[in-house]
Amino acid sequence: MSVADYTARTSVRLGGLVLFVLIAFGVALTFTDEIALERLVTFGFLSRSLEMATPIALAAVGGLYAEKSGVFNIGLEGFMIFGAFSAAATMYALGGTSPTQGHVWAALVAAVLVSVALTVLFAVLLIHFKADQIVAGLAVWFVGLGFAPFTAAVIWGSRSSPGLTSIDPIAFGQSPLILLTIGIVVASWVVLYRTRYGNWIQAAGENPEALDTAGIDVNRVRYATVIFSGAMAGLGGAVLLAHAGNFGGTGETMVDGRGWIGIVAYLFGNYNPIGAAAAALLFGALDMLNVQFQTVGIDLPSRLVNLLPYVAVIVVLTAWGKTRMPDAVGEPYESEE
Amino acid sequence: MLSATVLERIAIAIASTLSAILIGLVIVAVAGYNPVQFVNQLVVGSFGSERAIVRTLRYSTLFILTGVAVAVAFRAGVFNIGVQGQFIMGGFATVVSIVGIAPLLPENAVGGTILIAIGTLAAIVAGGLYAALPGVLKAYGGANEIITTIMLNFIAIGFVGWLVAGRFNDPEATATRTRQLPEYVELPSPIVSDPNFSLVGLLVMLATVAAVAVIMARTSFGYDMVTSGYQQSAAGYAGVDPKRMIVSTMTFSGVVAGLAGAVFVIMIQGYYTDPSGVGNYGFDAIAVSLLAANNPVGVVPAGLLFGGLESAGSHIQINSDVPVQLIDGIVGLVVLFVAVPELFRMIAKRTGLGGENR
Repeated sequence: MSVADYTARTSVRLGGLVLFVLIAFGVALTFTDEIALERLVTFGFLSRSLEMATPIALAAVGGLYAEKSGVFNIGLEGFMIFGAFSAAATMYALGGTSPTQGHVWAALVAAVLVSVALTVLFAVLLIHFKADQIVAGLAVWFVGLGFAPFTAAVIWGSRSSPGLTSIDPIAFGQSPLILLTIGIVVASWVVLYRTRYGNWIQAAGENPEALDTAGIDVNRVRYATVIFSGAMAGLGGAVLLAHAGNFGGTGETMVDGRGWIGIVAYLFGNYNPIGAAAAALLFGALDMLNVQFQTVGIDLPSRLVNLLPYVAVIVVLTAWGKTRMPDAVGEPYESEE
Repeated sequence: MLSATVLERIAIAIASTLSAILIGLVIVAVAGYNPVQFVNQLVVGSFGSERAIVRTLRYSTLFILTGVAVAVAFRAGVFNIGVQGQFIMGGFATVVSIVGIAPLLPENAVGGTILIAIGTLAAIVAGGLYAALPGVLKAYGGANEIITTIMLNFIAIGFVGWLVAGRFNDPEATATRTRQLPEYVELPSPIVSDPNFSLVGLLVMLATVAAVAVIMARTSFGYDMVTSGYQQSAAGYAGVDPKRMIVSTMTFSGVVAGLAGAVFVIMIQGYYTDPSGVGNYGFDAIAVSLLAANNPVGVVPAGLLFGGLESAGSHIQINSDVPVQLIDGIVGLVVLFVAVPELFRMIAKRTGLGGENR
């Protein structure tokens, strides 16, 4: 596929998602004729959408690295839960119910470390012990859904944490984590498409034999990408927590499907980090629509509006679902030597 | 040879379960509780008294039904993660249809029986349709069914939750729930008298298992389905339309999930609440099915095990300080271990256990 084809296909997909978001707005506006669009799409809405998009974008970037190298990390959702929980636990351990901003940053770092530790185990099961990638990934989700609320109950006596603190905005009321995410997204794009290591990653997923012949250890590249994907998902969960300010462990926990949406985001973005981040932003916007409707007084049941991102996932996955997966995804690689 | 692999699978299932429970116990100890006491409560809470056994059988009935629903799909190579959503849609359809039609029928056992039949049918249709949708989207739109079914779970929870709180809310109830089924709509309960369990429900479950096992192993539909799962090209040469097969598989799976929803409502709950609180039967069913290597008959012992764990969970919740979410975590670990048969094969080889040279 030529570069022109590739970008054309990616933009068609993203165009589709933009269309869906616009239709969602349109439907909302038919319910009311007094509210002008400019009251709905405000600066605050945009910045809240960015905030909601960051966890999804981070998970998506991680997931696409793993899949590019030939490993389907379906456990993103689970690692996000672990990330969110470890961030909350760290904040509480350092500063009780009134942690400082320094504690918030320490919590982000701790969440990444915990996720990396868990992902190393996961990667060994996937790559060394050739675990079924789909089943093992689902298992990570289940383990997260069980043990995060369990540990929360051990610490706080309830599945959710008490109110901790959220991160302070920097310039223009924006969270610094949005900048961090943009930086990570751009860096991931550069590494994947403009460096030798990026080529190795792509070769590990498309043609592992060739990479092996060239003297590069395929499984070593895969370990690196899977661990990176866990780190990003964990950071995504921690960012979600740093924006929310407390851990919610009821139902499907506060992560509530964002890891799964992250997978869809990189599928839309056709495995391109920047495309994935753009898709994440649109999902973030759908997620915030609810708050926006309430502020301007559109009376739609919030329970239903909350389902919009999920519906969008299904619609767009169906309309533009046939992505070309890297050739060797899901196959364990064994060197001939 | 075949019996060796069956034995191996059973060994792996047992090893997975034991490893998961062992890790669970370590976590219990690390969290500062007494693991010996916890094991004791697991046993007492699942099989320690007549009440515990009845409770275990009640949960097992649901785990086995939902487990069979998952097994049908997984066997055919279709990852229906949406059994939870189909279970919810089915159960809710049962409540709505029975509560809606009840005023038209005589208020006695005959009317009750007809209502049970109608309610079950509604559940089967609702569950089947809700599963057919992602089947169609996968077959004709290429949408990955793992992701669409997970999204449909979230949508089922939100949508039914909205209906239960709004349109179908019982104005006289203090809690957010639908109106109750009339009291003459109940399964007869011979031998065991328990408000939330009936041997008839257990028999329905066993009959379903038998029917599904026969369909999968002895009919051409079942044969085509399983072949598509293992060897798509072979099924193609045999004249199976793979797209239609995906849709039929999903529908079949959803029908069983819907039936589980009906049994849940008629035998146990009697009304519908917000679905985020009905229990994760459809999720745990994935573990049940995988533990049984997706064999419908194997689902019975696996489902009994999970019924026992769940039953012990409700015992532990009342009689112990250990947070009950631990059980969910152990279930996750079981799935994780089942995913890695190679781990146990290597351990067996190193330690000289297992013995067979392959």
